[in-house]
Amino acid sequence: AAASSSDSDSGRAESNEANSKWLDAHYDPMANIHTFSSCLSLADLHGDGEYKLVVGDLGPGGQQPRLKVLKGPTVLTESPLPALPASAATFLMDQHEPRTPALALASGPCVYVYKNLRPYFKFSLPQLPPNPLEQDVWNQAKEDQIDPLTLKEMLEDIREKADVPLSVQSLRFLQLELSEMEAFVNQHKSKVIKRQTVITTMTTLKKNLADEDAASCLVLGTESKELLVLDPEAFTILAKMSLPSVPVFLEVSGQFDVEFRLTAACRNGSIYILRRDSKHPKYCIELSAQPVGLVRVHKVLVVGSTQESLHGFTHKGKKLWTVQMPAAILTMNLLEQRSRGLQAVMAALANGEVRIYRDKALLNVIHAPDAVTSLCFGRYGREDNTLIMTTRGGGLIIKILKRTAVFVEGTGEVGPPLAQTTKLSVPRKTRLYVDQTLREREAGTAMHRTFQTDLYLLRLRAARAYVQALESSLSPMSTTAREPLKLHAVVQGLGPTFKLTLHLQNTSTARPVLGLHVCFLYNKALYALPQAFFKVPLLVPGLSYPLETFVESLSSKGISDMIKVLVLREGQSAPLLSAHINMPVSEGLAAA
Amino acid sequence: MAEVKLGMKTQVPASVESQKPRSKKAPDFPIVEKQNWLIHLHYIRKDYEACKAVIKEQLQETQGLCEYAIYVQALIFRLEGNIQESLELFQTCAVLSPQCADNLKQVARSLFLLGKHKAATEVYNEAAKLNQKDWEICHNLGVCYTYLKQFNKAQDQLHSALQLNKHDLTYIMLGKIHLLQGDLDKAIEIYKKAVEFSPENTELLTTLGLLYLQLGVYQKAFEHLGNALTYDPANYKAILAAGSMMQTHGDFDVALTKYRVVACAIPESPPLWNNIGMCFFGKKKYVAAISCLKRANYLAPFDWKILYNLGLVHLTMQQYASAFHFLSAAINFQPKMGELYMLLAVALTNLEDIENARRAYVEAVRLDKCNPLVNLNYAVLLYNQGEKKSALAQYQEMEKKVNFLKDNSPLEFDSEMVEMAQKLGAALQVGEALVWTKPVKDPKTKHRTNSGSKSATLQQPLGSIQALGQAMSSAAAYRKILSGAVGAQLPKPPSLPLEPEPEPTVEASPTEASEQKKEK
Repeated sequence: AAASSSDSDSGRAESNEANSKWLDAHYDPMANIHTFSSCLSLADLHGDGEYKLVVGDLGPGGQQPRLKVLKGPTVLTESPLPALPASAATFLMDQHEPRTPALALASGPCVYVYKNLRPYFKFSLPQLPPNPLEQDVWNQAKEDQIDPLTLKEMLEDIREKADVPLSVQSLRFLQLELSEMEAFVNQHKSKVIKRQTVITTMTTLKKNLADEDAASCLVLGTESKELLVLDPEAFTILAKMSLPSVPVFLEVSGQFDVEFRLTAACRNGSIYILRRDSKHPKYCIELSAQPVGLVRVHKVLVVGSTQESLHGFTHKGKKLWTVQMPAAILTMNLLEQRSRGLQAVMAALANGEVRIYRDKALLNVIHAPDAVTSLCFGRYGREDNTLIMTTRGGGLIIKILKRTAVFVEGTGEVGPPLAQTTKLSVPRKTRLYVDQTLREREAGTAMHRTFQTDLYLLRLRAARAYVQALESSLSPMSTTAREPLKLHAVVQGLGPTFKLTLHLQNTSTARPVLGLHVCFLYNKALYALPQAFFKVPLLVPGLSYPLETFVESLSSKGISDMIKVLVLREGQSAPLLSAHINMPVSEGLAAA
Repeated sequence: MAEVKLGMKTQVPASVESQKPRSKKAPDFPIVEKQNWLIHLHYIRKDYEACKAVIKEQLQETQGLCEYAIYVQALIFRLEGNIQESLELFQTCAVLSPQCADNLKQVARSLFLLGKHKAATEVYNEAAKLNQKDWEICHNLGVCYTYLKQFNKAQDQLHSALQLNKHDLTYIMLGKIHLLQGDLDKAIEIYKKAVEFSPENTELLTTLGLLYLQLGVYQKAFEHLGNALTYDPANYKAILAAGSMMQTHGDFDVALTKYRVVACAIPESPPLWNNIGMCFFGKKKYVAAISCLKRANYLAPFDWKILYNLGLVHLTMQQYASAFHFLSAAINFQPKMGELYMLLAVALTNLEDIENARRAYVEAVRLDKCNPLVNLNYAVLLYNQGEKKSALAQYQEMEKKVNFLKDNSPLEFDSEMVEMAQKLGAALQVGEALVWTKPVKDPKTKHRTNSGSKSATLQQPLGSIQALGQAMSSAAAYRKILSGAVGAQLPKPPSLPLEPEPEPTVEASPTEASEQKKEK
């Protein structure tokens, strides 16, 4: 059965190969591209109908940020960036011919705009308004009205209460030691208090026309929990909206001048939906985990969460469906096949799969050689439907969707789970078992009786032995009312001299015990003790008294024996307690 | 445009040479939040190594001022199990920005994970002051109060969490509290609402199905379990419960195929092997049944239900000595069940230990409230011993129970049992026919009407209901939180009174045989 199943498996894999919807156009495991889906963009940068791939590359370990432009499998241009790119986007700035799109790279507090791959404009985020109180305090310091210590106290006070956070300068100052304060104040007091924020995410929004080649505004999400919409030509701020948390992913639809919808997935695990003319979110979706991707398919918002699942929501925030993934989602993007009017979601998983879903129906699974960390789909070169993926190790994979390929639902998992066909492993019974069963049927009564008799005998013996132990005080615990005692012994050493320590404890709650003796019984041919009989001091309740004695092993033949310890009361012949100590074999030679 | 210095490569606070263009006297400070976005992206991708590297860099550059970096570092510590360290870091965050409820929430969460529920509630209450409309705070407060056994407070908090925002988790927690308080109906209400809110959550569907099962509402139970299985065909909890219901209806083969899936998912589940064993028992494959039950017993040696089933199967196999051991073991774990004593008595009768059998019967009669079989079997024993009077008393007791059961439920009685009762009635009633005809007739007619269409339906249901109780306990055991408490509810559900009935078949036949011998 195993052989046949493996046959059918391989058969399926082969047919997959043949029926695959994708052509492998290019795979370079050493392409050295480390980036996120938000830093990938496809655009006809030169207006020659040949689409290029723009990559905001973070470099290995995020150390060498570069702007790369790829044409086909080769890198066309490569230029170093001043800081790590958070997002890359291509957009048309104006309606002039030739219609070459501009390239925007968000990095730190700035957006760098390139045209024809040449630096064209730099937009910087406006400064955030500083806390007026903080400004006041520093002004006073500037005029030497207050000493550094007072300054520190006042700043701490502001930090406790104010809604506006302190500037870096003040925060730094608060960390300083007393000795460093003076110098710091002198150095910095003349500076204007500044609060700068950074861009966390960026996307584009059509300005006033829905056409493919209409001018678009840039939409920026900032660390100060704001969304900004920039004018495509003048780069002035057209609109400003505030969010309850820092945006991570943005999704837009509509046109700025007509009606639009902004969806922002935020760091607090919520997704906020804003509309034109609303300064604050209109709807809120609370996920119970962090979102890892946000894609809009027609009117459905598809969100991937860290709980290894995809959720579908309406544009008003109502949950539609949930699909579980076999592994953690790394990144997501939209797949749009215009020729067939198909929109679907691609989700790259940690197990190297890229899954394509239309709503909750699985359309296709691509097995990548490494975990895919960023992907995008669109026109590349002169090919309409190209899928570009980069992997964790920095590889670049380009696949082309076959023109004949049609995605059909239901190619995913259907029918009963595979496990249902495996056989149950019922434990087998032996011939012997069957024979015994037959015997029991024939002689059940006799077996039962024998067993019961033996059981009673066993219990009787156990009881007898117990009574005997109690009567002769053989146990190491004494529970008589007058002398509740506990004894345990430890033997230390390798021999021939051992140290024997008896721990004797009076377990009564209040009464001390007096007049006890300890006596050792041993074979005199084998062991020698300095004192075989001694008096025990008064035992205070609760304390453990260590009583030490040395034992000399006399035999050189490696024989060991038992030493009996008896605890006696003065004037009584029966011991209160007794312990049997099995002496270890002496490892050293007896003193010759 | 390259004027902004790339601060990260140099660990010297990016100030020394970078600010020339701005011509400032004093050095500028790097933006503290510069790489928060990168930290976050690495974090949600679960790429913790890369995340830690960026955090380290950013903390060095900002001299520990970047609150978000510390925050994520603390989250990662917590994921790695270093809860104490993470707690300290969260507290640092709370110092850096005291107005932020998020930090307090995380401090409370760490306290919660450390088991300091009281302290956690205090911090959560503190956070609630800063942010009053946060369902998470309300929900977590509810969870904390649950652990502190302050169920009323917990319910209040969870309800307010639901008002702020609906989440499956809150529903589940609320349902659990109702279960802890033993209020099955309210729990079902909550789960119903939850299923309405998220109709595709298999955990909710399964739990609701199991609750209906406990109440004996089999139609609804099957409906919900079936729904759960459509969304997730490999949901073993639902399969186990649905399988046990199939057993109830005698679909042993279908149940067995379903159990294969479970056997792949959790091959070491005692209830699974118990149910498989009882399937084989239903198919009269006794050796397979015994080996499966023994595996179940090996996996859960202290489960009396498995021992009970083992005793039952061994009685069927006429291995009375073995049956005796399993049953007495079961009695040690569950000393309050009349049927167990009755089975023990049957075993003892067959081992010719009449005196002890009688004692067991006395105990069984004392403990049992509604099973007529106990009295019938006892009556047979007494009759066989020639004690007609006591037999008569037991017989009357049985009639009472039969009448009571007939009045209260549409259950049919096992045909063997009815036949046996008639025979005994006939043997006992010599001369007093009038008294006996009536009660005897009743079961008879009932039996006749039903027997044509549904012969012997009773026996199977019983066997599997036993198994079903098992399935429930298993499902309860797999709940991650508060499993013990949920499991503890088990003995209550009405499935138990029905449970004993597997015995009738097994049990009545041996006694019957012995009686016939005597009569001849």
